Amino acid sequence: MRKQVLIFGAIILGLTRCLWAGDLRVPQKAVVNTAVAVGTQGEGSGTLYLIGPALCFKHAVRLGETVQLTPEDVRTAGVYTAILRSDGNVVSRSFVVSPGPVERMSFLAQPSRVPANARDVITGTVFVLDRRDNLVLAPVPVDFTLTAEDSPIIHRTVDAHEGVAWTRMDSSRRSGNAQFTATSGEASVKRIVQQVAAEPCNLRFHARPAKAAILVETDPVRDCAGNAVPDGMIVTFTDLDPLGKSTVDAVVKKGIAQALLPAARRATISVAAGVVVGNEIHWEGGQ
Amino acid sequence: MKNVFRFPSLVSRWLPPGFLLLAFAVFFTAGIHAAAPGPRVQLNVDRTGPRGVEEQTRKAVLRDYGAAWAALGKALDQNRPDQLGDLWVGFARQQFLAAIAQQKSSGLRVRYLDNGHQLDAVFYSPEGSTLELHDTAQLQQELLDGDTVVQSQKGTAHFLVVMTPTADHWQVRILQSVP
Repeated sequence: MRKQVLIFGAIILGLTRCLWAGDLRVPQKAVVNTAVAVGTQGEGSGTLYLIGPALCFKHAVRLGETVQLTPEDVRTAGVYTAILRSDGNVVSRSFVVSPGPVERMSFLAQPSRVPANARDVITGTVFVLDRRDNLVLAPVPVDFTLTAEDSPIIHRTVDAHEGVAWTRMDSSRRSGNAQFTATSGEASVKRIVQQVAAEPCNLRFHARPAKAAILVETDPVRDCAGNAVPDGMIVTFTDLDPLGKSTVDAVVKKGIAQALLPAARRATISVAAGVVVGNEIHWEGGQ
Repeated sequence: MKNVFRFPSLVSRWLPPGFLLLAFAVFFTAGIHAAAPGPRVQLNVDRTGPRGVEEQTRKAVLRDYGAAWAALGKALDQNRPDQLGDLWVGFARQQFLAAIAQQKSSGLRVRYLDNGHQLDAVFYSPEGSTLELHDTAQLQQELLDGDTVVQSQKGTAHFLVVMTPTADHWQVRILQSVP
């Protein structure tokens, strides 16, 4: 009989301890940058520890009290752990703080300079972020647009997957600056892509006598879409006469390249820019 | 019997004792450095797109991600932000600098016993400037209040990771814990 009473007493004591021991209530759902309440249960006092991706603090609590986390405390999305130590017992609960809506973007447009009228030469990669720079993991649409003067707007919508969206775009037919924009929700970021003339097309030059030399000069150098090639492009004139072969490199300035070749009674002169070969002139008796 | 290769006698005949000592020193030092860099990291690139991950890139990511976690472990355990080095940048760096500052002010430390990472590369940008990965990490997390271990928890943690390259290595720009 005495033994039974002792066992019963031990059970009651154990149950009482369980009821008095601290416990924790953590939120089922929490969002970045909004206040979060972590409740404690039980009787007595203890220490509440909170560990998160950018959070680590302790707080002395009376069990039953609720601890409020400020929006600043939960600015980072991820898994948080609340730990309650009281009367030698340790209880822990985890909860997830989800990212907020899209408010920012990290937009990488590459390259910054592309040939005009070329397929799939511009790439745009966007990371969608909330106000506190957490990746927004839910699928959200991202609009990419490429606008350039005298060219139709190119538009594409891509769903961001796990915070990232990307696209490839053709460059416009006309050279000049194009505006590459990514938009999602309230966030919009612009980048400038410089579109320059591609390889020269129909490269032509003419020659005329100058003082003890032959002056050679190209027509305006343009690509096949009619865009003037950028200044600085190298054009090579080659002069083949009875004395031998000579080459002169000339830089395109304001769309035209010119050079002086050594005077000769008879010569064959040609022009090239990169892999593009232009016309050929047979120079006879100074004409 | 004359052709039996007797290594010790050959070594003692051809190599001076000083050289042997030096060779042993180099061997053991190299062993220590090879073991030091960081936790075990595996990287799967089978479902990476739109660009494929080159072998050289794969090796660099493995090396630098492991080294980044080793640095993070030291920084959090010793409350020393300088230990983060240059492998943590951007949002990830800010996040851990904030955590270390809070640890310091509250007298707490989080210690990670790192049992390895399984990385799955899910996005590699077309021009090769950004890599997004999933990390399934086996971690034991210990919370220390002063020198007292408050709690020790062992388990699997999941992270979404964004890495970007520099001239000679990869840096962790985002490390977001996910359920």
